Amino acid sequence: MTTASEHARPALAPAGSWRLPLGSARSGRSLLLDKRACVANLLLAAALWAACVASLCLGEVSITPRAAIAGLFGYGDFMDVFVVQELRWTRLLAGVLSGGAFALAGCLMQTLARNRLATPGIIGLDNGATAFAVASVLGVGLGIAPPAMALVGASVATAIAFGLAGGIGTQGYRFLVAGIGVGAAFDAITRLMLARSAIDAANAAYPWTVGSLNGVGALALNMLAIGLVIGLIGAAALARALGVVRFSEGVAQGLGIRVAHIRLGALVLSVGLTALAVAVAGPVGLIALIGPELARHLSSRRGVPLMGATLAGALLMVVADLAGRVLFSPIEIPVGLISTVVGAPVLLWILLRPGHKIGV
Amino acid sequence: MTVPFEAPPLSLTSPLQAEKLCVSYGRRPVLSELDIAFPREQVTAIVGPNGCGKSTLLSALARLHTPQAGRITLERRDIRSYGARELARALALLPQNVTAPEGLTAAELIRFGRQPHQSWLRQWSAEDAAVVDAALAAADLQALAHRPLEAMSGGQRQRAWIAMAIAQQTPVLLLDEPTTALDLGHAIEVFELVRDLAAEGKTVVMVLHDLGNACRYADHLVAMRDGRVVAAGPPSEIVSRELVRELYGVDCTLVTDTDTGAPLLANVRRARDIAAPGSSIS
Ligand SMILES: Nc1ncnc2c1ncn2[C@@H]1O[C@H](COP(=O)(O)OP(=O)(O)OP(=O)(O)O)[C@@H](O)[C@H]1O
Ligand SMILES: [Mg+2]
Repeated sequence: MTTASEHARPALAPAGSWRLPLGSARSGRSLLLDKRACVANLLLAAALWAACVASLCLGEVSITPRAAIAGLFGYGDFMDVFVVQELRWTRLLAGVLSGGAFALAGCLMQTLARNRLATPGIIGLDNGATAFAVASVLGVGLGIAPPAMALVGASVATAIAFGLAGGIGTQGYRFLVAGIGVGAAFDAITRLMLARSAIDAANAAYPWTVGSLNGVGALALNMLAIGLVIGLIGAAALARALGVVRFSEGVAQGLGIRVAHIRLGALVLSVGLTALAVAVAGPVGLIALIGPELARHLSSRRGVPLMGATLAGALLMVVADLAGRVLFSPIEIPVGLISTVVGAPVLLWILLRPGHKIGV
Repeated sequence: MTVPFEAPPLSLTSPLQAEKLCVSYGRRPVLSELDIAFPREQVTAIVGPNGCGKSTLLSALARLHTPQAGRITLERRDIRSYGARELARALALLPQNVTAPEGLTAAELIRFGRQPHQSWLRQWSAEDAAVVDAALAAADLQALAHRPLEAMSGGQRQRAWIAMAIAQQTPVLLLDEPTTALDLGHAIEVFELVRDLAAEGKTVVMVLHDLGNACRYADHLVAMRDGRVVAAGPPSEIVSRELVRELYGVDCTLVTDTDTGAPLLANVRRARDIAAPGSSIS
C-alpha cells in the first residue's frame, strides 16, 4: 500500500493473470492478460483455422488441404484453383466475417442489457434489417443498396424497441419484450412484401430471408470487413468499462464508469455490426446467442469475452455452412436453418438450466 | 420536531455536505430541503425508519441521482464538477442492493475496486496488488479469496463487497447497511474496521438500523424521518426517548453504557403500550 512496498517487490499479477509491463517498472504501465481467456482464444483460433481449411477442401469436389492452400494463391491444378478461388473462398470469407460480426454484436448487446437473451436477433434487429433489405431488392424502397438499407432497418428496429421500452432498464426485460414485438412486426412486413411481389422478385429476395452464404455481393462483403475491424477496435476500447457495466448500475457508476455512454457506444457498435452481417448472410441471428455462450464457457468470468465471442461466432458460422453443404450433398441446406436447429436447444438451455441467473 | 436541527458548525471541517437538497422519484419528493454535513475523519451513522430516504441520500451524495434542487459539495467543490473517475477516487459507495457478474470470485470482485485507479495502459500495479491483499485481510476473506460469490454465505458476500469499497481507497466511504447480513462477530469486526478506517483519516458514513451499534460506534449520528434530518450530533447528546419514539414509534428505556458512555436502548415496546405508569426512566 505504501510507496516503500511498491519498490520493495515487483508487482504480483493476480491469480490467473499474466502481467505485461510496458516500459519501465516505475511508470507502472502494464497490461493484464487473463490466462484462461488467452488459452480460450488460442483454442478458438486454432479451431477456426482448421474449419477454414476444411471448408476450402470439402464439398461436392473434395481436394487435399495442400491443394486447397496452393489453389488459394493460384498454384496447382486448374480445376482446384477454380473451385477454391471462385466457389469457396468468397463464401468462406463471408462466413468468417459475418459469424464474427454477429457474435461480437451479440456479446456487446448481452452485456449492455445485462441479459444473455438480449441478442440482436431476438430483439428484432435482424428482422428489421431483413425487411428493409428485402424492400430494397423488391424495389419497394428508395433504391439504396441492400447493405445500406439493412443498416437503416436495424437502426429503425432498435430505435422503435428502445422508444417503446423507454430505455434498457436494469435487466433489459422491457427492451427485450419490446424488441420481440418489433421483430415479429418486421417479419410480418417482410412476408407481406414477398407475398405481394412477382415470383421472380420474390426469388431474388429469398436468400435474404433464410440466411445463406450463397452468392454474396462484393460491396456487402467489403463493408462488413471494414465494419468488423472498426467493431473490434471499438470493442477493445470499451472492453474494460464493459466488464464493469455487468455490475448493478450503482456499483458501476460508483467505480467511475459512465454507464450510459458505454451502453450507447456498445449499442451503436452492435447495431452496425448486425446490420452489416445481415447484409451478407441474412438473418442468422442465433450465432449471436451461441457464439458468446461458447466463449463465455471457455473464457474466464473476469472480463467480457469480446474476442472469444468473435472467434467462436466465426467458427460456428463456418462449421454450420460447411455442414449445410456436405451433410446432404448435393442438396444444400442454408446456414440459417442449421444455426436455428443448433441454436434453439442452446436458447432453451439458457432459459431452463437450473441454478443460474440470466444475467451476463 | 422534538430535537431541533441547527446548522452544524462542523460544516467548515466537513469534506462532504449537502445544502437544501431535494430529490424525488418521478413526482414524489423523497428528500426535501435537506441540509447535512459529515465530520471529517469521523464515523457518521444515519438512522431512520424504512423508506425515510437514507439510501436515496447516499445515492445522491454519490451522484447516482440528480437532485431537483440544492447542491452537494465534496471538498468544497460541487460534485457535478467532478469527472466520473475523479469522483470514484474521492468517494466510494457500497449501495444497499448490489449484483455482480455471475461466477466472479471474492478476489476478482475486490480487484474491480481498483478500476478508478487504473487505465487501459495501466492495468495492474504493485500498489493494486498490495491494496487488494490488504482489503482481503481487512474483510477476513483470505481463506475464501478464490471462491465464487454464489458459493458464499450472505454475510461472506457482504464482506467481499465491503472489501471492494475499501480497495477503492477513497478518503470518503459511504456504506449502505453494511452489517445487515452479518452475524454478531462479523458485524463487530466491520464496525471496528470502520473505526480503524476513520483513525487512518477516512470519513465514513454508514446507514444502520441498529441504533445501539450506531451510538456505540459512530462519532456523529444523523436521524432522518420523511426525507428530513430531525436530529444530528454526537449520539450521547441527541438520543432521547422522544427521538426514538419520533423515529420508530416505539417507547424504550434509555440507559447509559457504563463502559463506553454510549446510550443503550432497553425494554423497547410499541408506543401505544406505554400507558403503564412508572415504566420509564431516561
Ligand atoms: N427507484 C425508485 N423509484 C421510486 N421510488 C423509490 C425508488 N427507490 C426508493 N423509492 C422510494 O423512496 C423512498 C425512500 O427510499 P429509500 O430507499 O431511500 O429508503 P431507505 O431510508 O433507504 O429505507 P430502508 O431502510 O428500507 O432501506 C421510499 O418511499 C421508497 O419507496
Ligand atoms: Mg435503504
